[in-house]
Amino acid sequence: MKEIPNMDELLNSFIDGELPARQQTEVQRLVDHEEKIAQRLQQLRKCKMLLSSLPVTEAPPQILENVKASLAGKPLLDESAFRRTERAGTRHLLGRKVFAAAAMLGLVRILTAVVYTIVAPETVTQSRGQKTEDRGQKTDSDFRLLTSDFRLPAAPFSGRLELRTSYLPAVVAFINRAIEDNVPSATKHRGQRTEGRGQKTDSDFRLPTSDFRLICSSESFNLLLAELGNIWDKLDSATLFVDTQVFGQRVVVDAVTAEQISGIVNQDDSKRRMEVAKDFAVLNNIAEHLPGREILTAIDDTTVGLITPPKPVLTWNQKTEKKSPARTKENKNIHLTITVVGGDRPSLN
Amino acid sequence: MTEVANTDRYASERRIDISSEKDAVLVRRCWQGDSAAMEELILKYQSRIYNVILKICADPDDAAELTQETFVKVIENIDGFEGRSGFYTWMFRIAVNLTLNYCQRNARLRFSSLDASEAKAQYSSQADRVLKEFLSDDSSPDPAVMAQNKELYEIAVESLMKLDDAQRAVVVLRDIEGMNYARIAKVLDIELGTVRSRLSRARSKLRQILEAILQ
Repeated sequence: MKEIPNMDELLNSFIDGELPARQQTEVQRLVDHEEKIAQRLQQLRKCKMLLSSLPVTEAPPQILENVKASLAGKPLLDESAFRRTERAGTRHLLGRKVFAAAAMLGLVRILTAVVYTIVAPETVTQSRGQKTEDRGQKTDSDFRLLTSDFRLPAAPFSGRLELRTSYLPAVVAFINRAIEDNVPSATKHRGQRTEGRGQKTDSDFRLPTSDFRLICSSESFNLLLAELGNIWDKLDSATLFVDTQVFGQRVVVDAVTAEQISGIVNQDDSKRRMEVAKDFAVLNNIAEHLPGREILTAIDDTTVGLITPPKPVLTWNQKTEKKSPARTKENKNIHLTITVVGGDRPSLN
Repeated sequence: MTEVANTDRYASERRIDISSEKDAVLVRRCWQGDSAAMEELILKYQSRIYNVILKICADPDDAAELTQETFVKVIENIDGFEGRSGFYTWMFRIAVNLTLNYCQRNARLRFSSLDASEAKAQYSSQADRVLKEFLSDDSSPDPAVMAQNKELYEIAVESLMKLDDAQRAVVVLRDIEGMNYARIAKVLDIELGTVRSRLSRARSKLRQILEAILQ
């Protein structure tokens, strides 16, 4: 029998009831009128019947047990399913906990803000003060404040030291060497002029002048000052001009000594520094105009005075201690201009 | 004739639909860790799965092993069953894939010869006579009676084994398991037109085999 592929597909679909109703009717009409097609249909139907008539073979009874045995060494379905359910439950529970915690935090934050707005500012301040005073204990914030107070650098000193001497070249050379030895890292500027500038008095004109501008630490300045103390007797006068916080206002300390300068400069508090400078100014002014000046000076030399500022250590003929790099990083809070005004006198040596 | 075919078809699909609803309940119970539901699914389908596999691979021991492997895979992967196709379809897809892979590995199942003399030599004259009567009878014999005919059964099984694997799978799913074309397409993951043409070629070839036996 010759195969009719398309017709076979149509007939097979007809046999299996897979055709739409209209096509099903058309094929049925075709089969009714075409004997060959009817025969072919019968053959195909026989094939289908032959296979359909094959008896259903029952599965061996041990399949279930074998399946259980095969799964015995593996994670069981129920366990994995329980794990899945448990995981889902755990996630759900965790999510609820997180949500509850977030809600609780939000509520606490709102309540805190409300309480702080209404009550807390005064209460907190009072309690902090009471804590500090009554118990003598510091809160963390207090401790930080006190610590920072203690660590605050000394207030910067700014001023000018005017030295008058008849031994100008020698004094200038000495000061220059002293600066080189004691304040090597300090910013210094030396200038020379033959006429006074700025705030010089008329009498200063025509006098040679040397300026040393220092920016250094108090420690370095003390060392320098100690060395300068050795030539103090070569000075005709020494005047310290201490700058105040008000522009243009100064405290002038006439007949200032090296010890007094140290006492003024080493004050940490600028206010206290002004007080000390004024005290010295008054004291020196009184001493200048009182009779028996030499006696007072002698008394002052024996350290019997109203004010006993820390004295610098004089290290004449002693090797100057070299500063370590760390020391050069100290706070350079001394801004001082040393002005040396000279006259026509013989050399120091 | 048409009414009978349609009735069979609708009955078969209605049975599957009803079964799908029950299967869905059983699968949900399995997801919840109900091992009794899994046992129920195995007992419900083991004979049908085994029967399809046996008709494709033709070896009872291998069929039993493949059936067992099918259910193991089903249980292991039921967690990932998403329900896009019915459980029945999904399970049969696993079974047929396993069986076809098995057939590819076993060359002994391949029958390339359709030589008439070779085909005829396998059967006795009694078998020839039974087959001739069956094919020449214009009436529709009772399938139950046919099933008890041992000679006819042997011829049918042997003829089936002469089809290639893909054709045999389509014929078995349609004529033995009773699936419609759409479900066969889903199980085998092929187009509906492919099912139609593959089934047509399988039956034509089957007819040729039977005629060769009678010659």
